[in-house]
Parts: sequence; C-alpha cells; structure tokens
Amino acid sequence: MSETGRYMYAISRGIDPTALDATRGLDDGKLAVVEHRGLSAVVSDVDLAEFGEDGLRRNLEDLGWLERVARGHDTVVQAVAQLGPAAPLRLATICLDDDAVRARLDEWYDGLTAALDRVEGRREWSVKAFAPVRAAAERPAATTASGAGAAYLQRKRTETLDRQQAEQQALELAESVHARLSSRSVASRRLQPQDPKLSGFEGTMTLNGAYLVGVEEEAEFAAVAEALAAEHPEARLVIHGPWPPYSFATLEQT
Amino acid sequence: MIDEPRRLPQRLETDPESVERDLFKLVLTVIELIRQLMEKQALRRVDEGDLTDEQVEGLGLGLMHLEQAMDELKSRYGLTTADLNIDLGPLGSLLSE
Amino acid sequence: MTQEVAERRTEPGGQISLVDLLDRLLGTGVVLAGDVVISLSGVDLVQVRLHALITTVRAEMVGMVGTGRAGEGER
Repeated sequence: MSETGRYMYAISRGIDPTALDATRGLDDGKLAVVEHRGLSAVVSDVDLAEFGEDGLRRNLEDLGWLERVARGHDTVVQAVAQLGPAAPLRLATICLDDDAVRARLDEWYDGLTAALDRVEGRREWSVKAFAPVRAAAERPAATTASGAGAAYLQRKRTETLDRQQAEQQALELAESVHARLSSRSVASRRLQPQDPKLSGFEGTMTLNGAYLVGVEEEAEFAAVAEALAAEHPEARLVIHGPWPPYSFATLEQT
Repeated sequence: MIDEPRRLPQRLETDPESVERDLFKLVLTVIELIRQLMEKQALRRVDEGDLTDEQVEGLGLGLMHLEQAMDELKSRYGLTTADLNIDLGPLGSLLSE
Repeated sequence: MTQEVAERRTEPGGQISLVDLLDRLLGTGVVLAGDVVISLSGVDLVQVRLHALITTVRAEMVGMVGTGRAGEGER
C-alpha cells in the first residue's frame, strides 16, 4: 500500500499554473498549484514510504539521496522564481493532501505574505571568505645538539601564537567584509561555514554570507564584492549569484 | 537560534584492496590528534614553570622525535595533515594545523 | 550591465553547488560528523566515535593541569 503526500516546493502569488507544465517535480511527479487566499503553493505527489517520518529519518543521513532531492527541489524553485516572487520552502515539507496544504497556507499566511513582500524583485548572492592557507612551517634540520628539545618547544610555541594571530585576523576580516556587503543589501545572513571536504574549497571558511539584493542594485553589489576580493586576495573571496532567495524566505527568518 | 547542523557520518568505503590504506589513514588520524594534544599540554606545563630544564629538554626531544616519526609515516602513504583532518562540529576541526 | 555582471558571476551552467543548496534547503547546513563509519563492500561494520574520544581526552587534560606537579608525587 503506497500512500502519497504533497511535497511543497515553494510559495508564490499571482502565477499562471499552466506555465509550470514543462517542469517535473521529484520522482518525475507532475506539478500542481494549490491556491488559497491569493497565495499559490507549488506541490507534487511523493511516496510517503520515502518522505514520511521513518523514511526521512533514514534518507536524511544519505548524501546521495540528499543530492537528488535537493537538485529536484531547486529545479522547481528556479522555475517558480521565473514566474513570480518565490518563497522557497525547506527540504521535505510534506502535507497529506491539498486541504492540509491550504490549512498550512492559512496558518503561515502572515509570515508568507511578509516573505513574499521581502523577496519580490530581489535575488540572493553568496559571498564566501577563507582563512589564508598557511605554508607548512619550516622544519629545521634534525639535530642532537644540546638544547634541541627546548628549542623545539620554543618553535612550537611561536608557531601556535602565529597561527592564533592569523586566525584572529582572518575572522576580523570576514566580519568587516560581511559588514560592508550587508550595508549594500536589503538583508543579510551568515550561514554555517562549510567543511572543506564538502565544499571543495581549501582551508577554513571564515564567511558564508548570503545577501538579498534588489535586481536593479545587483551590478553595484557585484562591483563592491569584486572590489573587496581584489583588496583582500588572501581571503580568496568567492562570489556567486544571483540565486532564488532561499535564505530570506523561510518563515523562521520573519 | 542557529540550529545544529545535520551531521553526516563519514563513510570509509573500503574494498578488500584499499582496506589497508583506509584503516591506516584512520589510525594515523587518531595518532596525529594525540600527538598534537600532547604538544599543547607540554607547552602548558612548560609555561606553568614548574619543570626543570632537564624535564623541558626531555619533553621537547620526545615530541620532536614524535613529529619526525609522524612525518615519516605520513610520507610513506602520501598523506598530508589536511588529509587526516575531520570536522567535529562544535569542537571545530579535529586537528588544529 | 546588470545582466552582464549577474551572469558572469553565476556558476557555469547556472548551478548552485550541492553544499550551498543543502545549507539553504536544510536550513542548518550539513557537516561531516567527527564519527567515521567503516564499511566493507557496502556493509556498515564499525562506527568509530572520534567525538567521544576527543571529549574524554580533553576532560582528562583539564584535570591534569594543576595536578601532577613535579615533586608532589601525584600521578
């Protein structure tokens, strides 16, 4: 017995449902638009064995599953964002049926309206900064001279202090970059730094910044970001965008 | 206010051929961690100022030999310290270097 | 000018990296845990809890500082 639920991708308003016909949801599901009080929830059917409580608990630990679902979710969000303001929902927001979807829209009405107002005409930019990659410390030639042990400890102490100072400087630089970029955007957030093994970037990430920028201000924002990147090459700033406003539309941020 | 990030266990997917190398990497990681913690602790003890010059010299020589031994082991398998590093979440990275 | 700048900085193919997507879709980011699961031929066999190991060692370290001073004979 395979039960299905309604997977919710994003909320929008004033969109033409037929414009989504060319886009498929997860597991190649057909997209539907559930309307309520002027809000439009974009949904599709998913199997509850996969997306119910037990299934989710298992699958959320699996990077392969996460990748497939995240990509599928993003495909729909990007399609919706082409049609109107889009408030993307978190991964795996499931309702049992369309009545439940409408009930959620009711419950979240104020927050969703505020979110849509906030993101309308605006897109998200991502700027990341990194601590400088430090060259491995010099190893003096091995020696059995007297005092070599004490000298070793002294060297380690100096290396530790140098490293701590470099870390401090890198963190302060990240703060100041974030402050500059925040002043150039409607809203900003600092996201969790990413593990180098997952991000593919070398070294410690000191800033994982998300910035909400109006479409007309994008050129200016990008110019400021690129100027900062040129000013601080050691921070290896990485600038991406524009993206749908993922970090600014979820209800927790209202 | 910030939720705990979702932690994905790291899977050491081994096959009979690469078992030796993967397990070795894990063992080296743990040894490297202990070695770094020993160094931190040694520096703390030296800073406390209650060790004789001989004790300080002995500590330093021992740690220096440990570092050389680790360098040798890592190079034998073509591993850098970065290869051994693991993120512990709130505790930061496993290895500080 | 806006369009030109915007497109230049978008990732090739316009794709958001998986990590960036997961950060946002999960709301909390995803990190590799300090635990390691050792699998053989697709079968999970052993879980090494490095997190627990570190915590234990560090607690012991904290206990060590201030004890074991030379000459006091405490071990």
